[in-house]
Amino acid sequence: MPESKMPESKNQRRVPKANRFVETEAFWQGAGQGELWLQYCPDSKQFQHYPRPVSIQTGRRNLEWRKVSGRGVIYACTIVRVPGPGLEGRLPLSVATVELDEGVRILGNILNTAPDNVAIGQRVELAWDAIDGETSYPAFNVVEA
Amino acid sequence: MSKDSIVIAGYSETPVAFKSGRSAYDFAGEAFAGLLAATGLEKAIVDGLSVTVPLSECANPFFAVYMTEALGLSPSWLNYGGIGGCSATGGVARAAAAIRDGQAEVAVVLSADAPSTNWAANYGAWRGEFQDPVGIMGPPAAFGLLMSRYEHQYGLNYEALAKIAITQREGALLNDNAYAKLQKPLSVDDYMNSRMIADPLRLLDCVMFCDGGNAFLVTTEGRAKELGLQKMVRATAYAEVTNFKGDEATADITETGFSQLAPKVFGKSGLTPGDIGSFHPYDDFTIAVMMQLEDFGFCPKGRGSDYVLATDLSHKGELPVNTGGGQLSAGQPGLASGGLNLAEAVRQMFGEAGARQVANTGTALVTGIGVIPYARNWGASAAMILEA
Repeated sequence: MPESKMPESKNQRRVPKANRFVETEAFWQGAGQGELWLQYCPDSKQFQHYPRPVSIQTGRRNLEWRKVSGRGVIYACTIVRVPGPGLEGRLPLSVATVELDEGVRILGNILNTAPDNVAIGQRVELAWDAIDGETSYPAFNVVEA
Repeated sequence: MSKDSIVIAGYSETPVAFKSGRSAYDFAGEAFAGLLAATGLEKAIVDGLSVTVPLSECANPFFAVYMTEALGLSPSWLNYGGIGGCSATGGVARAAAAIRDGQAEVAVVLSADAPSTNWAANYGAWRGEFQDPVGIMGPPAAFGLLMSRYEHQYGLNYEALAKIAITQREGALLNDNAYAKLQKPLSVDDYMNSRMIADPLRLLDCVMFCDGGNAFLVTTEGRAKELGLQKMVRATAYAEVTNFKGDEATADITETGFSQLAPKVFGKSGLTPGDIGSFHPYDDFTIAVMMQLEDFGFCPKGRGSDYVLATDLSHKGELPVNTGGGQLSAGQPGLASGGLNLAEAVRQMFGEAGARQVANTGTALVTGIGVIPYARNWGASAAMILEA
């Protein structure tokens, strides 16, 4: 299968390293307090995720971080069924593209619903997935109608 | 035709292999030597070289320079193409620009890769923090997301995807360069029963990473004739876009870059979809083939399933598609992938496709796709029209 040979982490979920791509301290500090913080361009009043080195609206570095509601709707969804690094014990794994009410999309796992019952259009709210004892990672739960 | 027209005046393709134990350099050498043999040219005539960044050697930033040493070339123009499956057609287009600019007269566009033998890629960037933790480890999960959205907006008949897989497989049975283990017929049941990879994406919707290489000779029509070359096709239109709608936070992910490229290449060539003799869409996944049939106007957007089920896509059909099996059934030679679709297009137009020869050798449309971005449609799209 394509890209089956990713490096490192043979037997456990890897704890991501912050600040490898751009400064992401606010995201990780927020996650540590149960809050989802995303990068925001005040000039265009637009969130962007994943975080970038510049505003993808203006090309300028006038960027800040803001807390978002974590509420949104499932835009696309799949069920990962093929083993891979960091997937041990997680399959089948529900993965969704969530469109947040703030007008930005984020990839996340759906935790509270059997993967086969996850569907596009469902409302979701923020949930937290423990990567290890110390690190929590944003995920989502389907909101019961 | 004019003597200044840019032409592809020769091609070469190695058989596709799996875990060959060979390097990208070795496949490149085989493709390069094959190109010289096919054209009867001496290597000294080659003064331009475009090389595709391969998964298997990309840890070496000087791969293209090493390649000139490996082949004994001293080009006055060297390009190192990093747009994945767009690098072959993109290489031809860049060679055309270099030739028109006087930087080279006779260029070779060379793609070779061996990721099933050696994996050297590490995408790095944002993926460790924002994609890997979610469990999207590669293109299949991203295409599962894309398919789910397409199905939600337009409906998706899996029998149509099965038909794409089956028809291309029939082409691979007639293609000596196809990976041998893929050369067995498929049925609709085989497709439906193939295991789910990332719902609704099944195993038989996916390519298999293999090893292989291909090469193309690019020059002007006048120079090709001076060199005594008889067979050539003109590259009459090319368009490319990377990071399509990249600054739209909530873009429709079922819209591809090809929706922007189709009017450009048809406009420049003066052709319409009905004029296309054979179509060679980049086929990493079956849904990509269907979406391109829509984007290039062979059928309306969202109607791909109906069109596929109603249309003979074989080499004998109304619209021959990926007649050699494409990557889906010949095997995907890593990032030399785009050259596999291009080689089949040129082979058909040269009348060298043997048992799978199409009737209309006057035109062909070839595409490339590269890169799977974060939660969007694919990252790079390229399209080229070839005319006799």
